[in-house]
Amino acid sequence: MDSNIIIDLKNVNFYYGQTRALSNISMTFRKNKVTALIGPSGCGKSTLLRLLNRMNDLIDGTRVEGEILYEDQNIYAPDVDPVEIRRKIGMVFQKPNPFPKTIYNNISYGPKLTGVPVDDMNALVEQSLKQAVLWDEVKDILNQSAMNLSGGQQQRLCIARALAMKPDILLMDEPTSALDPISTAKIEELIEELKKDYTIIIVTHNMQQAARISDETAFFYLGNLVEYNKTEKIFTKPDVKQTEDYITGRFG
Amino acid sequence: MNGKALRSNTMRWRYFKQYVFFTLVRGSAALITLALGGLIFYIVYHGISAISWEFITQPPTHAMTKGGIMPAIIGTIYLTFGAIAVGLPLGIASAIYLTEYAKQGRIVRFLKVGINCLAGVPSVVFGLFGLGFFVIFLGFGSSILAGSLTLGFLILPTIIGASEEALKAVPQTFREASLSLGVSKWQTTYRIVLPNALPGILTGSILGIGRAAGETAPIMFTAAAYFTAKLPGSVFDEVMALPYHIYVLATAGTNIEATRPIQFGTVLVLVAVVLGIDLIAIVIRGYMRRNKRW
Ligand SMILES: Nc1ncnc2c1ncn2[C@@H]1O[C@H](COP(=O)(O)OP(=O)(O)OP(=O)(O)O)[C@@H](O)[C@H]1O
Ligand SMILES: [Mg+2]
Repeated sequence: MDSNIIIDLKNVNFYYGQTRALSNISMTFRKNKVTALIGPSGCGKSTLLRLLNRMNDLIDGTRVEGEILYEDQNIYAPDVDPVEIRRKIGMVFQKPNPFPKTIYNNISYGPKLTGVPVDDMNALVEQSLKQAVLWDEVKDILNQSAMNLSGGQQQRLCIARALAMKPDILLMDEPTSALDPISTAKIEELIEELKKDYTIIIVTHNMQQAARISDETAFFYLGNLVEYNKTEKIFTKPDVKQTEDYITGRFG
Repeated sequence: MNGKALRSNTMRWRYFKQYVFFTLVRGSAALITLALGGLIFYIVYHGISAISWEFITQPPTHAMTKGGIMPAIIGTIYLTFGAIAVGLPLGIASAIYLTEYAKQGRIVRFLKVGINCLAGVPSVVFGLFGLGFFVIFLGFGSSILAGSLTLGFLILPTIIGASEEALKAVPQTFREASLSLGVSKWQTTYRIVLPNALPGILTGSILGIGRAAGETAPIMFTAAAYFTAKLPGSVFDEVMALPYHIYVLATAGTNIEATRPIQFGTVLVLVAVVLGIDLIAIVIRGYMRRNKRW
């Protein structure tokens, strides 16, 4: 197996009860790359993302078929603990969702409770906030409630919170859709920076964003993977007509 | 011209409807306030003359026609806190199971219906259950322990209901955020969900507290003494209790008419005790809210 591949999906089907949300998805995600998932609303992007860190387990009546290999291990094998998977594969949600705690405690919460040995929590908090480019804005108010931050700051806090767990992969579900252009730009810069150390998979409805920040792009439609290619190629001369229609906004 | 007349007509009609509606709403609000105010006035009017330092610090004397009601005050406080100590942890635990852990389906629905039915069971039934199970079968005798357990079970449905609502009100995004960090389900529940639900749980539980303090039937067979001047030494002792004392004085006392002021005085004290315990809960809740808000 190619050592650059960190996640490998093999013939994955996913069902909410009786309805199939993903059909026969086979694809790989490459290490230290940014992969964008695009497609019209309801095509299964979030479902796929949540499949990768087993967040869909929380929904009653869901079912997975096929294999999802993370570093050659099937994360849906019966002996795999989803809690362990989530420590390695972090997630940032569409709406910023800090805990109603102080900024400091938002960051320290994960490492503290998961029993990761941390020599110096203060240093970890500082490092995570710096990685998320939030440190300068909050270093004097670490003991204030995170709920008082602006939306963009909250989202960067959520990114810092995920980074404090030192995951391998960061899943982001439309992380900038609730933010203003300036905060969005900040987070895009941040993603650029983070890809040195992390593998990032991001769902976005913003075509420019996908084109700007991603190395590879996957286009989904009605639960099918229609096209998966280098971002450049997808946005210049896609192989499939449907992809072109979607990207150029001619989608019916 | 025509259009204007039409508009002002419909407008007048709308204002009229609004006026009628508001009057109705104001009227019922006034009625309730009046009824409640009347009740309190009545109790205070008849009971205030009995209240004195001696009344709340001394045991009854002269076959309960004189003296105070201190043992009953203490007894009711013990029983109420006992009921909370039984009902709150059990109720919260049940609610956590029902909302956070149990697979939502037919069995859980059935359980919830059962719990709601339990809330409607007359309190005397709980009293008889307590007598049969705690007093006789488990051999606790008529005691603070048996009474607290019985009252705890009585208020359990209220606490479960309140806790369920409060747990459901905690945003799902908090749970997802915590779980996505690789924090276990139990820790998520304990560290995130529960602290954020506690103020709501307390709000709902205040209703149960009032009920526990005020009920007569459940403690009649399980905890309440007709008369005892000494204070309880352990949880296996009987106690006097305010609601039962009122019942005794008003129906079986040695001199029912002459003890009217004492009866109303006792009612007044009971209301004050309930309000006092509620106040404690409200203060605790306020303190929690200050620390855990979202
Ligand atoms: N909890 C759920 N239960 C049942 N069906 C669901 C659930 N979540 C999503 N679905 C269905 O699965 C399909 C894919 O949903 P998903 O949320 O993955 O779409 P999406 O591509 O992320 O859309 P959007 O761009 O609007 O976020 C949709 O048809 C949706 O109705
Ligand atoms: Mg989505």
